[in-house]
Amino acid sequence: MEIRLGGTGGQGLILSAKMLADALARGGRRVAQSQTYEPTSRGGFCHSDLVVSHVEVDYPLATAIDYLVLLDRIALKPSLPLAKPGALVIADTRLCPELPEGKYTGCSLALSRTAIDLGSERVTNIVALGALVALTGVCERAALERAVRADTPRSFLDLNLEALEAGFRLGTEQSVRRVASPAPA
Amino acid sequence: MSIATVAVEPAASNLRLLSGNHACALGAIAAGCRFFAGYPITPSSEIAERLSRELPRVDGVFIQMEDEIASIAAVIGASMGGAKAMTATSGPGFSLKQENLGYAALAEIPCVIVNVMRGGPSTGMPTRPAQGDIMQARWGSHGDFPVIVLAPGSVREIYEETIRAFALAETYRTPVTVLYDQSIAQLLETVELKQPGAPVERKWASGPPEKYQPYAPLDNGVPAMARPGDGYRSHTTGLTHAENGFPTQTPEVVERNIGRLLGKLERHRAAIESFQTLRCEDADVVVVAVGISARAAGSAVAACRAKGIRAGMFRPITLWPFPEEALRRAASGARAVLVPEMNAGQMRLEVERVLGRDVRIEGLHKISGDPIDPAAITARIEALCI
Amino acid sequence: MNDPIVLEGNAAVEEFDVRKYIRLQMMPHFLCPGCGHGIALRALLWAVHELGIDKDRLAVVSGIGCAGRLSAYIDANTFHVTHGRPLAFASGLALVRPDLHVVVITGDGDCLAIGGNHFIHTCRRNLKLTCLMLNNEVYGMTGGQVSPTTSETRITTTTQLGNAEPHFDACALAAAAGAGFVGREVTHHVPKLKDVMRAALEHPGFAFVEVMSDCTEIFGRKNDMGSSPEMILRQKSEIRPSAYRDTVETPFRPNTLPTGVLMCNERPEYGAAYRQYAQTVKSAGDGKQKRG
Repeated sequence: MEIRLGGTGGQGLILSAKMLADALARGGRRVAQSQTYEPTSRGGFCHSDLVVSHVEVDYPLATAIDYLVLLDRIALKPSLPLAKPGALVIADTRLCPELPEGKYTGCSLALSRTAIDLGSERVTNIVALGALVALTGVCERAALERAVRADTPRSFLDLNLEALEAGFRLGTEQSVRRVASPAPA
Repeated sequence: MSIATVAVEPAASNLRLLSGNHACALGAIAAGCRFFAGYPITPSSEIAERLSRELPRVDGVFIQMEDEIASIAAVIGASMGGAKAMTATSGPGFSLKQENLGYAALAEIPCVIVNVMRGGPSTGMPTRPAQGDIMQARWGSHGDFPVIVLAPGSVREIYEETIRAFALAETYRTPVTVLYDQSIAQLLETVELKQPGAPVERKWASGPPEKYQPYAPLDNGVPAMARPGDGYRSHTTGLTHAENGFPTQTPEVVERNIGRLLGKLERHRAAIESFQTLRCEDADVVVVAVGISARAAGSAVAACRAKGIRAGMFRPITLWPFPEEALRRAASGARAVLVPEMNAGQMRLEVERVLGRDVRIEGLHKISGDPIDPAAITARIEALCI
Repeated sequence: MNDPIVLEGNAAVEEFDVRKYIRLQMMPHFLCPGCGHGIALRALLWAVHELGIDKDRLAVVSGIGCAGRLSAYIDANTFHVTHGRPLAFASGLALVRPDLHVVVITGDGDCLAIGGNHFIHTCRRNLKLTCLMLNNEVYGMTGGQVSPTTSETRITTTTQLGNAEPHFDACALAAAAGAGFVGREVTHHVPKLKDVMRAALEHPGFAFVEVMSDCTEIFGRKNDMGSSPEMILRQKSEIRPSAYRDTVETPFRPNTLPTGVLMCNERPEYGAAYRQYAQTVKSAGDGKQKRG
């Protein structure tokens, strides 16, 4: 199983991928988490990938993505070609509003809007994590929460936990809707 | 200086998430490293950052020096004082360290140098992986000198090979380079770290000081080292020296001493060599690769075998001295050999030297700053089978 | 880690005999007749003798050049390292072995040109090291090229019409960069040279001593400075000892070099500061670190 969090530098993609990796590892999975980044700490295409397996990961870099999260349109072009046919692509409604046609399941979620409503756009990454896990069940929610707790400085903990909850809700609502009316292919 | 074994991580047997650079730092601590000097450089800086936290906890010393040259100089100085010592850098810094690396080789001062390769030449692509220092790691310093280079391919292996680097450096009194690239350096993998054995200690001078000859070899061809304060008061120099440690230009004395130095690692090749073979027994095509490229090659071999194509992989873990005999054996039945590497063709030259013209040898070279995809290797293996 | 060294005080009950401190098997030495470096070496060993420093606890690290060769003559733990880098090698050695007296012998080119970066940062760090820079204004071993301390107008093999570059004042540089101790002396005044070196060896932080040494063979001859006795006598007219400065100003000799102990301060020594920091880290325990 391969997961990519794509967006721009400064969105906390590497940290959130590490949290997800941590959660998966806590669940006994073998994980390889990699990233590409630009020399700038802010801006530019940035992505963080996870390759997840039950045995030791063979090739640790992403080649066929099952779950793609797009937090900025800049990540579309370099990431979509790596999506497997039938992959789930979660895109932010504000920052990546257009999803081109393709052999994947698209799903637009108000990730950054939710974060802004919580008081800080900076927690978009955590909202995204929550939504991804709620939608896909790649790991236990409780495991993810433990990972977020472990990797968050105390002063941000309340906000991050709120963001995680909000993400879980967003994802759950969306999956209910998907069951009711299948998302456009 | 306390050089006793210190249990680093009580939870070391658990599965945990660790990046390559952090695994390197923990491996160093487990190997008994008690001194690190470095200079910030992408993509190796996490090693320094981690060791700045770990070393004070085990009575070790971390120092960020004023430049790359000072870093390796301080490391050699600390090793002369008896500490196991390490520095870490990337290509541009590795170039700057070459003069002192040669000093450590000639003066036979154990030390470990980590080079996390990034895109080159020059400043190149600091945040992108490459394998462009394969030849620099072997031939980077001036003159003829012996060197050991280890090329781990995973986070777990970075930990283990860093420990082995210290053991080899101490045993053979030589600089050892640990060579890997940005993609494994910053890769986070679930790993189970083996409980390390007791750190390997270099042979210290013993016996009456008046009889001590600093560069007279013991039975294994490696001289015993004098620790300052132990009463030997010896001289160490980067000038070509005689067994007594003092400079000489007498041709036969130079021949004898430099000859021993160059033969030192050859003599212990069997103990130094390390490699992995994957399904080479019946392989029509053998892929020779190291580091992240070998991870891709391993995937490609599996994909080919699933299609009924007889592919195999040979992976040097000790890159230098190059495991020549093992490669000859692994490729003895092959029709073709493919060398995928993230450079314009460096290890391919060595493979060509070792295998000669009896077998078709091709390179798959990538210099774009992207790792080589398993599919690209699979495609080339298929093409070589036609 | 071994405990930092403590000087037992003056052990000079017996008279100083240089032969007890040199490797006699290395004699004759390779310095040219008239070279000031031998005088500097003798002064250092005299200071070592007076302080009662155990030869087994003495480590000498030297760079490349005529000054760099001196380490081989000293009966101690000696390290002749690469050009410009002795301070960096010595820093590593001193940090892991605070129980040793680490002395660096360097030259003007070794210390100020190729090693300039290490020099200013070693001063800044204030690690316990004693650095003797033997300044003969020239690259002697390579045949007499201009150095960062060559006086203006002097002839060298690379300044055949006279040096046009201004020269470094190494002591001012060391002081500005933060050295704990700065001294300068000429080889003409051997007991004073020994005293400055002794004070430097006793100093708890980084101690820098510039020794004004003569290169008669390569530098003096080219600049018509006379024979070696004439060169060494000339030193007298070119210095202004700190003792004079304390008593009377010397307006009639304004362009002379101040000598003696020029600066001595109580800045924290880096090795001790680091060891204290490490103790704090250790007593803070593992609580701060849980992520791996």
